[in-house]
Amino acid sequence: MKKEIPLAITFISGFLLVLALFIPHKPFGNLEEIFNDWYIIVSGFTMLLGIDSLLEYNFKKIRRKEKDAPYSLVLILSFFITLIWGVTEIVRTPEHNPFSPTSTFSKYFYNSIFMPLQSTMFAILSFFIASAAYRAFRAKEFNSALLLVSAVIVMLGRIPLGQGAAPYVITVIFLVFAWYFYAESVGITETGTKLLYILVSVAFIALIYPIGWVYLKQHIPSFADWIMNVPQMAGKRGIMIGIALGGIAMSIRIILGIERTYMK
Amino acid sequence: MTEFFKKLAGIDRRIIYLTVFLATAIPILTKKTMKIEPLPEVKKAYEYIESLPESSIVMVSIDYDAASMPELQPMLETFLHHAFRKNLKVIMLGHWALGLPLGQQALEDIAKKYNKIYGIDYVFLGYRPGVAAVIINMGKDIKSVFSSDYKYTPIDSLPIMRSVKNYKDIKLLFGLEAGAVGDAWIQYGYARYNLPIILGTTAVMTPDYYPYIQANQVISVIGGLRGAADYETLVEIPGQASIGMLAQSVIHLVIIAFIIIGNIGFLVLRRAKK
Amino acid sequence: MKLAMLLFLWQASPVSIKAYDTPNDAGGSITITWELDSSWVVSRIEIYRTQDLNAPDTLIETLFKPETQFQDLGVTDKKPYYYKVLIYQGDTLVAEGRTTEPAISTQQWFNSRRLSVLIILLIYTAFLLYFIMRARVDKNLFIRKIAGLEAIDEAVGRSTEMGRPILYIMGLGYISDIPTVASLAILKRVAYKAAEYEADVIVPCYDPIVMVAAQETVKEGYIEAGRPDLYKESNIYFLTSDQFGYAAGVDGIMMRQRPGAVFLQGYFYAESLILAETGHSIGAIQISGTTAVTQLPFFIASTDYTLIGEEMYAASAYLSRDALSLGTIKGEDYIKMVLVIIILIGSLMETFGIGNHMLINFFNIF
Repeated sequence: MKKEIPLAITFISGFLLVLALFIPHKPFGNLEEIFNDWYIIVSGFTMLLGIDSLLEYNFKKIRRKEKDAPYSLVLILSFFITLIWGVTEIVRTPEHNPFSPTSTFSKYFYNSIFMPLQSTMFAILSFFIASAAYRAFRAKEFNSALLLVSAVIVMLGRIPLGQGAAPYVITVIFLVFAWYFYAESVGITETGTKLLYILVSVAFIALIYPIGWVYLKQHIPSFADWIMNVPQMAGKRGIMIGIALGGIAMSIRIILGIERTYMK
Repeated sequence: MTEFFKKLAGIDRRIIYLTVFLATAIPILTKKTMKIEPLPEVKKAYEYIESLPESSIVMVSIDYDAASMPELQPMLETFLHHAFRKNLKVIMLGHWALGLPLGQQALEDIAKKYNKIYGIDYVFLGYRPGVAAVIINMGKDIKSVFSSDYKYTPIDSLPIMRSVKNYKDIKLLFGLEAGAVGDAWIQYGYARYNLPIILGTTAVMTPDYYPYIQANQVISVIGGLRGAADYETLVEIPGQASIGMLAQSVIHLVIIAFIIIGNIGFLVLRRAKK
Repeated sequence: MKLAMLLFLWQASPVSIKAYDTPNDAGGSITITWELDSSWVVSRIEIYRTQDLNAPDTLIETLFKPETQFQDLGVTDKKPYYYKVLIYQGDTLVAEGRTTEPAISTQQWFNSRRLSVLIILLIYTAFLLYFIMRARVDKNLFIRKIAGLEAIDEAVGRSTEMGRPILYIMGLGYISDIPTVASLAILKRVAYKAAEYEADVIVPCYDPIVMVAAQETVKEGYIEAGRPDLYKESNIYFLTSDQFGYAAGVDGIMMRQRPGAVFLQGYFYAESLILAETGHSIGAIQISGTTAVTQLPFFIASTDYTLIGEEMYAASAYLSRDALSLGTIKGEDYIKMVLVIIILIGSLMETFGIGNHMLINFFNIF
């Protein structure tokens, strides 16, 4: 019975919610809202579980005088200071709101500590994007070279300096590719392949002016938009369709009790 | 020689971070702005807001927090300038409790500049939990969700709310989105109630909303810092976003330079191996 | 006075109005529609309602735009209502209309606008059930190799050789999110392997309910491997429900505890690159998987293996080799082919300008 009851609850609630999508008649029409409300209420209480886990874990580290105990002490102190401070401001302020303009919590904690910390964490992304791009955008093969060129075009298309910088950037990239193909051709003995490599190299040089200095100089913002609106969108929609279908299959597995990893 | 190209292909992370820091900080400290040609999507959003008659009621939804503040706060401030300049009435609420103080601060500061009166020209409703339920129920009756504002003043006593029952009385929803709430606004607000929506989103989320623009389910999307700068240009109030454009341009060029340098090193080493 | 009234009314043209039960709803609503002449400059439209043609009308709504439809949400089901619409140009009444037949609101048992969704869902379910039943008979259903899942054992093994723990990050999803449930399936496998190799699995959680589910899952993994003694509940703990607080906390764990393998499986937002790059900086082998399409490029750039979208959902079937689960994967693939064909047909029809075809109307569910 230990497994059967949760499975039955899962099946009945899943089936009811699917029905609710098609049946506006009461009580089915409101089911989604009702279930949502129940979830919000239950999840509010589970926060107590989380707080208990967090405090227990960090108190244990301090008790055992582990290597990282000072960090745990900082966490516990921050937790209680924030809690007590916020509750005090709820009581003290006329609006009973710790975020009201008269609140010291808002002035000294939210504006001076919380906001800068959150913004900083998001800003760290810029460093990581630079190092990830430097490492990942390597022209190992045709696919990755295409990715590299698309990324460069979109990056240039999104900035005001893009139209000015595009010709120079394209010139450098195409020269590098031209050099690479020419250098590869030197080591090839088979005439046909050698000629092909040399042709590709010459093509890159020939395309520098029309693509870099004529087309992209004028049209790089709209070309970047085209990359985002057409091939990017197509690929993303394909992945999203796959995810949606996979989600339905997974949901049916959960509702039918085939998938049980979420329960004991 | 090979050593040199090895170094090119494997530049120390710390050098990259230092360069990124300098490339971002120096342009911002100069506070220079750039001439920008606004993107078509931002122009479309601007023109729609411009076409709203005076005293139209618009709703602003704060669905971001301090992490996305650098991108979305300039959009909010520009929108508030735009709205108050056109004498539109603003109702502000939000689904991210930790982001609401940001919205409230901007609303109070900018309303003061235009001598707007709380309760008559603007109101701050606050936060209620349950994203979908809030959006759906406001479509029937806003009072059923927000019976009072953030100061616990009954909304019936606020002149601005007397002529507002549900979305039929709202001419525009301006949603500032850093998460999934934008989808909820479209799925429930637009799909059920035909609520006109303009979204301001972070740059990383903007591609997610292109399908909605193409399907005309939103009027337009203002994306990222570039979108915010474009909007500031159109409204003619240069702010933080416009200042950030030079930094963004420089850092994009720096990243492209690193990519090219890395590829030169990589390709030379590959040839050397062969 | 009467003459003036008669003259006033004589100026108003009749307008045809219809009132009917709003379709596809849960009752309590009647829709009223009317026509407007393009020559009118409509200043206001007044809508009146009564339950008896002999009783006086009550003004229920005044519209100040030239609209042609109104939904009356203040009605009771199964009661008859009659409507009158007065259309004004300035202060002059230009048109007037009244319904003679009663409109009665009722609840509908089926939302006909979702017929297409129901048909597709039934076809999809039929495919899934067929392949589930086939899987009971033919237990060797083929499923292609998924590199990220094949690498799990290697990652756990390498981490153990280095004497380092394994870090499993479930992202920012809640237990109601399907990627989180899929992540639990992968976590069980990781826990099983970790138990075999006697390695620690650290799982910092974003949500308390997910934490509880993760604790049970890891425990199950250790029990299945025959090493329940090695299970440490304190390794699976709640961190914070703040996005960047979570990212900062996990980064701190990575820098201090230096895991040899990092699994990033679940739903992620902007913090994905922060986590992946920090994992890369400590030299850990990283296996990621998410259904967040905007974060996939970051994972592909920074991690060693990535499970893209539905590959995550296939993980539990792939790892357990359970025939019933594999059957659903097959069904999913076949229905995807059906959708591809429909998309191709629709695209061709649009390309050749065959407008207003059945496919547009069929999929118009909103």
